[in-house]
Amino acid sequence: MYKHVLKRLVSIIPLLIGVSIISFFVMHLAPGDPTALFVDPSVSPHELARIRSNWGLDHPVHVQYFFWLKNVLRGDLGTAYIINRPVTELIAERIPATLLLMATSLFFILLVSIPLGVLSAYKKGRGLDNIISVLSFLGMSIPSFWLALMLMLLFSVKLGFLPSSGMSDPLLADTSLPGKLADIVRHMVLPVLTMVIIGFAGLTRYIRSGTIEVLGQNYIKAARAKGLSERTVLFKHALRNSLLPVITILGMTIPDLFAGAFIIETIFAWPGMGRLGIGAVFSRNYPLIMGIVFISSLLIILGNLAADVLYSVADPRIRTEGKD
Amino acid sequence: MKKTILIVISVFLSACLGCSGSIKTGKNIGTLTFTLGGEVSIINPVLSSDTASSAVEGVIFSGLTKINEDLEIVPDIAKSWTVSADGKTYTFYLRDDVYWHDGEKLTAYDAKFTFDLILDPKVNSVRRGDYIIDGIPIRFEARGPKVLRAMLPKPFAPFLGRVGMGILPKHLLEGKDINTAQFNRAPVGSGPFIFKEWISADRVVVERNPRYFAGAPKIEKIVFKIIPDENARFIALETGQTDVCDIPAKDYKRAKLLKRTNVFEYDSLMYVYLGLNQKREIFSDKKVRQALAYATDKQQLIQLIFNGLASPAYGPMSPVGWTYNDNVEKYDHNVQKAEKLLDEAGWFMGKDGLREKKGKKLEFTILVNQGNKEREKAAVILQWQYKKIGVKANIRVMEWSSLLRILNAKSTEKDFDAVIIGWSLGIDPDSYSIWHSTQYPLGLNFIGYSNRDVDWLLEKGRTTLNRRARKKIYGDIQQIIAEEQPYIFLWYPHSIVAVSDRIGGLSKPGPAGLFVDIEKVYVKENY
Repeated sequence: MYKHVLKRLVSIIPLLIGVSIISFFVMHLAPGDPTALFVDPSVSPHELARIRSNWGLDHPVHVQYFFWLKNVLRGDLGTAYIINRPVTELIAERIPATLLLMATSLFFILLVSIPLGVLSAYKKGRGLDNIISVLSFLGMSIPSFWLALMLMLLFSVKLGFLPSSGMSDPLLADTSLPGKLADIVRHMVLPVLTMVIIGFAGLTRYIRSGTIEVLGQNYIKAARAKGLSERTVLFKHALRNSLLPVITILGMTIPDLFAGAFIIETIFAWPGMGRLGIGAVFSRNYPLIMGIVFISSLLIILGNLAADVLYSVADPRIRTEGKD
Repeated sequence: MKKTILIVISVFLSACLGCSGSIKTGKNIGTLTFTLGGEVSIINPVLSSDTASSAVEGVIFSGLTKINEDLEIVPDIAKSWTVSADGKTYTFYLRDDVYWHDGEKLTAYDAKFTFDLILDPKVNSVRRGDYIIDGIPIRFEARGPKVLRAMLPKPFAPFLGRVGMGILPKHLLEGKDINTAQFNRAPVGSGPFIFKEWISADRVVVERNPRYFAGAPKIEKIVFKIIPDENARFIALETGQTDVCDIPAKDYKRAKLLKRTNVFEYDSLMYVYLGLNQKREIFSDKKVRQALAYATDKQQLIQLIFNGLASPAYGPMSPVGWTYNDNVEKYDHNVQKAEKLLDEAGWFMGKDGLREKKGKKLEFTILVNQGNKEREKAAVILQWQYKKIGVKANIRVMEWSSLLRILNAKSTEKDFDAVIIGWSLGIDPDSYSIWHSTQYPLGLNFIGYSNRDVDWLLEKGRTTLNRRARKKIYGDIQQIIAEEQPYIFLWYPHSIVAVSDRIGGLSKPGPAGLFVDIEKVYVKENY
């Protein structure tokens, strides 16, 4: 087991180098360069050429890559263009807001989708199952930007309950800590609600099909034959096994927790990673793009590894198979 | 587990229920809230080039000169200036009562330091070219703490409009790498507001400077809120989360219906045009260009795209510019004239409804940048309008960077026929970089326009200091270009800004904005 994990950890290094090479070259293949943002009738082309050379963009792409790699090996992800601040600092300052929004959403998605999925499976083919299925498909097909605006119209404009943008009220800067926390929670309600409505469907479907499979197995019949209550059968015996695939899905969501959600962040003006990343791509801010790609690929790899490990912890069958 | 779930849910519920009626829970007395559509990148006037950063810098920093609501250059830190008889030496006399936000006195040494910094090739400032004339940098010299002298290699009229650059404090920045200095994140200026706080991607907050030399501001605090989405900005205005908001033309009527909100509509210094590649055979013929100009129904464009909230454009200068010449050839919509011109040019109507000449169809492709809905619509409407005179216009929507790559190609014939794009002009009428024949292929004259008279006038306009003489020169340039139609001038966009009724002391609506004298703006109390 430990050997296996160690092996996987070592394999991360070549994987990361591969990812970085591909993304670096693909990024440079895209037309345009970071100075394109400066175009206005008063800026001369010579000045743009000078700034490009200050940024090292006059070197061939493979040379630029080696410069970048050299710095990364020294633990330096470089300095973003235009913003002129270290990439690590830029990423670090966005992580708390992103993590808060994404983790809370995930928490509520699980809270909603586990009971819904199990109930749906239990009542398979009947009224409740159909209602839940329709709701799931509805959630999956509503465009998030539209839903976000509708929720804003309802809760902010019509009812006047909740703030529609930002993470905190600038006018509450002098309030006590609990006041500030309550303020952040108030700002979180609408984005979280949007993410839950959009996101609960997928997981509900997974849990539903997992549970249906488990419910058909012999040990459930045995449990029922023992005379256990349906409740115990469903939530104690069936749920545990039907949640196994969810572990894998959760492992793969770990990178999302850090990557943020661009559309939701943009509409609700939430200061998260999604906006930073997309902004970097549009402005061709190469060091920032590379920094984000590097960190997200690391998280994806680690997330997958964590899922595998957890899976084998949760399911003894996999543990024995994994022994070599 | 169950307990934590309950706690989290109850916190959420109490937060939802705890707030009654109004969204704003904090006190907003004395606070003015602006919305910014883009992220603030860096707060340093020498380094930034985006509008969001400039908006913030505008209230923190002061320059030697500034622009008033009539777009005139007026004193700011410099109380007066003189120009030598040969037009090459400018002497600025600085005020004696200007202090940095940290209490130090602002002197001419700071001004010299700032301009020298811009001229330093290692500093990533796009403004460097503004202070270089024919390859020779302008020399700046402090004559004691109160006098700054600028020595130009030759007379250069646009210079005075370029010294409004925000001055940086020498005592805080000397010897540091300005590109990455901590200063850019916590700036110290000499303007009406003092930097307080910057939360990335969320907001910048500034506070009143009681020692501001032009009189302490009346408001306590300004919050610049970053809200990237257009619809969300409108909702923020509607719900009182912001006081000021730019309104897209489509939302004009909705904004007008808002209570306690004033909507202002005014001209900007911008124009949008269909640029025709002069190196393409079909567009090298003036008659074809004039025919397209006659075939363009600008009123219809403006009606369909902006509900009438823009003005038709006829020449390369905004109507609010001081050199604007209305007496130019306007090519008012006239299909008969367009058809007659095309017949004269040898393009005759074919059986398929398209004009042709020597077996070649009159067909071209309009490039337009993706995501700019107004220009995308304009391309479709123009396609339809030109079809009526037997001209086939294809449309190619491209990502902005790809479009720029084609326009900025170094080759002598750039790979495009026509492009819909716009220019945002400065207050100086100098448009050398757009029209002079030397600015092709490398430069902004990407359509390859070349006219000896215009070249000569552009050169003369830059070196003439007399305002009346310049007005004549630029008036002539507008006449020639409007007659030649290297661009089909389309429209002058209007700025539409909504401001909450609780804000008073605004300046006259115009391209300089509504907050030209921010220190005079006030917030009505007990609102």
